[in-house]
Amino acid sequence: MRLFARSAIRSVTQPYRGSRNRLAVCQLAERAWMLLGVMLLASATRGGEIDYQQEVLPLLQQYCVDCHGPDVAEANLRLDSVLGSLRGGDSGEAAIVPGASEQSYLITRVRHADPSKRMPPDSPPLEADEIAVLQAWIDDASAWSAAQAELAEQKVQHWAFEPLSRPQPPPGDLHPVDAFVDAKLAEVGLQRSAPANRRMLIRRLYLVMHGLPPTPEQVETFVNDREEPAWPKLIEQVLNSEHYGERWATHWLDLVRFGESTGFETNRERPHAWRYRDWVIEAFNRDKPYDQFIVEQLAGDAVGADIGTGFLVAGPHDLVKGENPELQQMQRQDELADIINTTGTAFLGLSLGCARCHNHKFDPVSQSDYYALQAVFAGVEHGDRALPPQPSTWAQLAELDEEIAQLQQQLVSFAVPPADRSPERTGTRGEATAAERLRLRPAVTAQLNTETFPPTAVRYVRFTIEAAHHGEPCIDEWEIFAGEENVALASRGAVASSSGDFVHPLHQLSQIHDGRYGNEYSWIARDPRDAWVQIELPEVHTVDAIRWGRDRTGQYRDRVANEYRIEGSLDGERWTLLATSASRLTYHPEHPINREDASAFFDFDSFPPERAAAGRKLLNQLLELSRHRDAVSQPVLAYAGTFHQPGPTHRLYRGEPSAPREIVAPGAITALTDLCLPLDAPEQERRLALARWIASAENPLTARVIVNRVWQHHFGTGLVATPSDFGVNGAAPSHPELLDWLAAELIDSGWSLKHLQRIILTSQTWQQDSRPHAAGIAQDTAARWLWRFPPRRLEAEAIRDSLLVVSGKLDTRLGGPGFSGFEVEIENVRHYFPKTSFGPEDWRRMVYMNRVRQEREAVFGVFDCPDFNQVVPQRTRSTTPLQALNLFNSGFVWQQAGFLADRLSTEAPSPRDKVIRAYELAFNRPPQPDEIDAALHFVEQTDWQQFARVLLNSNEFVLIP
Amino acid sequence: MMPKSNRRKLFLDTASGLGGVALACLLGEQGLLASSPNAGPAIDPERPFAARSSHFPARAKKVLMIYCSGACSQLDTFDFKPELIRRHGQPMPGAESLVTFQGGQGNLTRSPWMFRPRGQSGKMISDLVPMLGELADDMCFIHSMTGKTNTHGPGENFMSTGFTLDGFPSMGAWLTWALGTENENLPAYVAIPDPRGTPQSSVNNWGAGFLPAAFQGTDFNASQPLRNLQRPAEIDEQTDARAKAYLTQLNRRHLEQYPDDSELAARISSYELAARMQLSVPEVCDLATESATTLRQYGADDTQNPLKAAFARNCLLARRLIEHGVRFVQVFNGAYQTGGEGVSNWDGHKDLANQYSKHGPILDQPTAALIRDLKQRGLLEDTLVVWCTEFGRMPTFQAGASGRDHNPDGFTVWLAGAGVKAPFTFGATDEFGYKAVVDVVTVHDFHATILHLLGLDHRRLTYSHNGIQRRLTDVHGHVIRPILA
Repeated sequence: MRLFARSAIRSVTQPYRGSRNRLAVCQLAERAWMLLGVMLLASATRGGEIDYQQEVLPLLQQYCVDCHGPDVAEANLRLDSVLGSLRGGDSGEAAIVPGASEQSYLITRVRHADPSKRMPPDSPPLEADEIAVLQAWIDDASAWSAAQAELAEQKVQHWAFEPLSRPQPPPGDLHPVDAFVDAKLAEVGLQRSAPANRRMLIRRLYLVMHGLPPTPEQVETFVNDREEPAWPKLIEQVLNSEHYGERWATHWLDLVRFGESTGFETNRERPHAWRYRDWVIEAFNRDKPYDQFIVEQLAGDAVGADIGTGFLVAGPHDLVKGENPELQQMQRQDELADIINTTGTAFLGLSLGCARCHNHKFDPVSQSDYYALQAVFAGVEHGDRALPPQPSTWAQLAELDEEIAQLQQQLVSFAVPPADRSPERTGTRGEATAAERLRLRPAVTAQLNTETFPPTAVRYVRFTIEAAHHGEPCIDEWEIFAGEENVALASRGAVASSSGDFVHPLHQLSQIHDGRYGNEYSWIARDPRDAWVQIELPEVHTVDAIRWGRDRTGQYRDRVANEYRIEGSLDGERWTLLATSASRLTYHPEHPINREDASAFFDFDSFPPERAAAGRKLLNQLLELSRHRDAVSQPVLAYAGTFHQPGPTHRLYRGEPSAPREIVAPGAITALTDLCLPLDAPEQERRLALARWIASAENPLTARVIVNRVWQHHFGTGLVATPSDFGVNGAAPSHPELLDWLAAELIDSGWSLKHLQRIILTSQTWQQDSRPHAAGIAQDTAARWLWRFPPRRLEAEAIRDSLLVVSGKLDTRLGGPGFSGFEVEIENVRHYFPKTSFGPEDWRRMVYMNRVRQEREAVFGVFDCPDFNQVVPQRTRSTTPLQALNLFNSGFVWQQAGFLADRLSTEAPSPRDKVIRAYELAFNRPPQPDEIDAALHFVEQTDWQQFARVLLNSNEFVLIP
Repeated sequence: MMPKSNRRKLFLDTASGLGGVALACLLGEQGLLASSPNAGPAIDPERPFAARSSHFPARAKKVLMIYCSGACSQLDTFDFKPELIRRHGQPMPGAESLVTFQGGQGNLTRSPWMFRPRGQSGKMISDLVPMLGELADDMCFIHSMTGKTNTHGPGENFMSTGFTLDGFPSMGAWLTWALGTENENLPAYVAIPDPRGTPQSSVNNWGAGFLPAAFQGTDFNASQPLRNLQRPAEIDEQTDARAKAYLTQLNRRHLEQYPDDSELAARISSYELAARMQLSVPEVCDLATESATTLRQYGADDTQNPLKAAFARNCLLARRLIEHGVRFVQVFNGAYQTGGEGVSNWDGHKDLANQYSKHGPILDQPTAALIRDLKQRGLLEDTLVVWCTEFGRMPTFQAGASGRDHNPDGFTVWLAGAGVKAPFTFGATDEFGYKAVVDVVTVHDFHATILHLLGLDHRRLTYSHNGIQRRLTDVHGHVIRPILA
C-alpha cells in the first residue's frame, strides 16, 4: 500500500497515463463509456478479438505499470509486456491463466471485494467494461500460445545448471589436478610450494582422512619407506581403514543436521537413530557409489536399504502439538520444509526453502516447485521404523516353529482326554482332542504372527476375522511379502478397504499398512465378529508370506484376531485360502501355551515318575522356546521415518496453510526436470523418482556439489566457496574446469568417492608445503589459488579423538549405540547435565557420542560444534577464551594428560626419552635439542602430567599442518 | 590462515571463518564470492570481542533482558481490562469455537489480583508485581505484541531468535557479533539461567546458531559458576602459571614456522584472555562485596523464600555484569517444566492463582531492585532493559480448569532505559485482552526496534548461510518509531 502513495504523487505530474486524480478519473469515466460503446460495437463485429496494443496495454499502463513495470516491479511482477504478465510475480499465483480469466490472479485482484486487497490500491475499482477488456484478453487462449512457447524456451543462464562437460586438463605431464591449479596460479603470477616433508605429509594425511594423528611407528615406516610408490600405498592404507568412514561420516552428519534427540522443548532421546550414523560410516568405508548413497537416503525402503531414510528424519521434530489446528498445520509445514530444505541443500546445493512463500528470488525455483517437492515428501512422518527382518531371522523363526511343533508332537502322549478338560480352557475348538491340538501350529500371538504358504499370484488379499479376543479386533500392521518385499504398504500404492472401521482418531484404516507399529498406528474393526479388511495391491504380485500383529511393540494383548482366514484373489471375486487360524492352537493372551494351559492339557501325574519328569522337561523346553521365539520376533527399529499415502498437496499462498491454492502433483524443479508423476502417485514412487533424478549423471548439480564438498574438507575451502549455494547468487568456482573435470571423473568411476579421494591425494597440490612465503601471502592471503596447502585448526571431534590416541586410551570399537556426554534427567522435558567424571565408556571416538540437539558437549562443543538443527556444510572456525579455558582446565583433558604421563613412563626409560616419545606421539616429530632442554627444565619445576597438559593444549597439536 | 599485517581489516565470513578485505577484492573481481557477501562487522581474529561501532549512533550500548519463561500472563500483570472484570464469569463472544493449545475455553475470568494506578502516570498494574509497579514511570509498555506459535519451545525460540525453529542465532549472538564488547576480560554475552534450571528451549535462547561459536552466550549464574574457569583442584597456582608460560613458549616457537599467521596468533591471545577472565569473572561474581542494604533491597537475604533469594542473587550478578561493560545480559525467570505445568515457570494452565502467587514474589522485588539500582548508578543511560516472555495467556480460564491457556495473539512486553520513551504505553489488545487490535506489533518489529536502539539497522545486519542472507528479523520487521525517545 505504501507504494501506492508513491504512485499517487507521481500521478499529479502525469495527468493521463497513470493518473488517479479525481479530475482524470472523471475524464476517464467519460472515455470509458465511450470506449465501452466502441468496444461493444467492435466485439460484435470482430468476434471478441481484443487488440493488445490499442485496448489492453493502455489499461495496464494506466492502472498497473507504475508499480508493476520496468521502474518498480513490485513483487517482481511486470505487466508492461505480454511475457511479463504471463510469467507472473513472486507470489506464485498465476497472474494470467490463458483462456481462463476466472482463474487468473490479475482478475481476482482487480475484482477483490476487500478494498485493502483490491488493485489498484487505494483507488476506486476498475470499471466493469475495463475488467471485461482484460478478461476478453485473457480468455482468448490462442493469442497466448506464442508467449507461452517463448516463456517455455526461456532458461536461466547459469554455469551450475549447464550440463557437465569433461574439460581437458592443460597439456603436459602433470597430474590433472596440478595442471588445472598451476594454470590458474600462473595467471596470478604464483607458483605451487615445494612438496611437504614426509612427516608433515603423513600427519596431514591422517588428520584429514581419519581425524586422528598417525602413530610414531606409522610415521617411521613411511619416512623410511624408500620403495616407490610409498605415497599411493599409504593412501590405500588410509582409505582401507575404518577410521576413514568415521571421520568423513561426521562431515556428512553435519550436512544432514543429524541429531539423536528431538530438539525443541522436550528434546527427547532418539535411541534408534544411531543406526543411520553407522549406515553412513559404512557407506564411506565400503565406498558405496554416491548415486546409490543418494537414492538410499531418499527412498531406501524401495531398494532394500531401509536405514538410509534416516536422512529424511534426521532433523529436529517438535513433539509438542497443541490443539489448535492451524498451528498444528504450520508445524507439519515446518517438518516438511526441513526435509525439503535439507534435500535441496545437501544434494543439489540449492536453497529451496525460499520458495515456500514466494517464487525464489534468484534461482529458477517457483513456489509451485516447492509444493511439488512437498508432495514428494508429504507421506513422510518422523518416527522409528521396524526394519524388514533379515532372511536369517526368517530362517530362525521357521526353525523355532519346527522345533516347537516337534516338542508338541512329543508331548501328545501326555495329553488329557478332551472330556476331562474344563470347557473354558478348551476354546472354541474344544471338540478337538488334545493330541490333535498339539499337532497344530503355535497359537497366534498379540505381537507378531507369520503365515507362510506356497507362492500365489494375487491382486487382492482379504483378512476375514471371525472372532477376536476381548473386543473388536485390532491390527497394527499387515504385511504381505513377495520375496523380501512388503508389497502391502500404502506408500507403494496399495489400497485398504474394510467391512467397517471403529471410529477413533488413534485407529485408522490407513494405518493398517502405513509401515508403523504400535497401538497408536493401528486399525480396529467396527464389528467384533465377522469383520474383514482387504488390501488391493497396485499390481499382481506372487506372494508367499504374511505377517501381522495386534501390537508389535508388545504393550497390548487384547483385541487379538484369534479366528480368521486369509484369502487371495486375482479378480476380487474368486478367492483362494492362503492361511487360517484353524491350523493353530487356541490363542491365549499370556502365552501360546502357558502353565495354566499345561495343567489343563497334560496329566503328567498319571505316568511313572521318570516318564512324568521327562514330560515336564519337554514342557519346560516348549515354554522356553516359545519365549525365545517372542524375542526373535521383536522388530529391529531404526529412526528412519514412516510412510503413508498422503492426501493432495496444495500450493499455499504466502506459505499460509489457511490459504490453499491449486493442487500440485509431486515433482521437482520444473526448470531442470519433469518427474512425470501423477497427482496420486504412490508415496514411495514419488521419493524414488526424485532420488533417481538427483542421482542421475545428467543432473548438472549433484556431482559438482559433492566434488566441491570433498575438496573443501581437504583444503578448508571449496572450489565454490558457498558449498550449499550453487545458485545464481552463490560464488563462482575458483577453478571451474577442475570442478567439472573432477565431477566427470567421479561419475565415470561409477560415483566412487574413494576414487575422488585418490585423485586429490595423489596431486602435488595436496602434497605441497603449508608454510607461507611472502609472495603468496602478498598476492593471495587465504591461498584460494593454492600456492600452499592451507593449514587450519582441527574440529572438535578430531581434537578429542587425537587426545585419546595420544594418551593411549582411545577405544576403537566400531558402531552400535553411542555413549552420552551428559547425565540425563528423565522428565517430560529432557534435561542434560554435562558429565563431570569420565571412564572408559567415554573414550570412544566422538562420532559415537550421542548428538544431543542444542546442548553442546561441555568441553569440546565450544570448538564450533554445530547444534544439529540446521544444515551445516562447513563449520565456522572461531578462536575464543572459552575454548582455552575448557582445554586447559577441564577434568577430561587433565585426566588424559595423566594417562599420557603414565604412558610416557612405561614407554620411555629416561626423562629425555620421555620428551622425545611425547613429541613423537603428539606432534609426529622428534624434538629439537632446545625443545628437549626446555621440556626437561619445565618438568623439573612441575611434573610429567603438567608437561602432557601443555602439549595437548598447544597450537601444533590442534593444527592440520 | 591470514597474515597478521592485514588483520585489522578482516571480515569474518562463513566460508573460512576468516577472510580478508584483500582477499575480498581479489576474489570479488573474479566473482568468487557470493554476489552479496556478508556485509558483516570487521572482526579482528585476535580480538573477536573488541568493541565495534554500530551502523549509526545510539544511546543504548548494552542490553539487559529479563525473560519470563513459560508465558507470563499479561492479564494478571500489566494489561488492565475493566471489561474482563465486568464480564467475569460470562462466556467470551466467539470463544465457543475457539481451540487454543490445550483445547476448549471456559468463561472470561478476571485476574485474582487487583489492579491499581501506579506512579505519576497512573499506569494500572496488578498487585502481583507491586514493586515493579512502582517503576511504572520508567517503563515503556507494548501491549499489542503478537507471536505466531502457541507452543513453548517454538515460542521461546521465536522471542529469542526470530524463528520458531531450532538452530538460529539468538538476539544476543547477533548483537555481540555486530558490536563486540566493552570489556574483553569478561564474556561479551552472559545468559543467567533461573536458579531452578534452564528455560524450556534451553541453549537455543542464547545459541549462536550459524554465527561463529564465539558469539554464543556464556551461561552461568550466581549459584552455578562458569564451567572450567578454574584450574583443576590438584594444581597449585604457581604450577599453573608455569604451565601457561611454557605453553606460550611452545606456541611462539611454533609460530616461527608460520610467521604472521593470525589464527595461530589468535590462539595464543585466547589463552591470555582466558587468564584475564580467570581473574575478572570470579571478581564480578563475588557478591560478598555488596552491602547488607543492597542485598536486602534485592531480596537476596530472604531466608523465607530461598528461590526468590537465589533469583535476587542472579539479578545482582546481572547488575555487576552490566556495570562491568558486558554487552548483553539475559536473566531468566522460570525454568523448564518440572513437577508439572506451571510449577517452575509461568505456565499457569491449571491453578493460576496458586502458581502465580509463588512466581510473582520471586520476580517482583529482585527485578524491581535491579532496575532501580541500574537507574541510581546511572547505568540506565546507556543500558536498554527488555522484559519479555514467549507469548501471552487467554482472558478465559480453560474449560474445566482454573488457569489460562496459551495465547500468541496479544501479550505485553516492556522496555526501559536508554532510548525509549517512559512512561509510555503503545498498542492495545481488545476489551478482554485477548487479541492485539491497536498498533499491532510482531516479534520481528520488536527485534528490529531493539537493534535500532543499539544503533543497528536490522536489514543490514545479515549473515550469509546456505545461500540465504539471514537476519534476526527474517524478511520482516519495522522499527516501532513511536516508542523511541
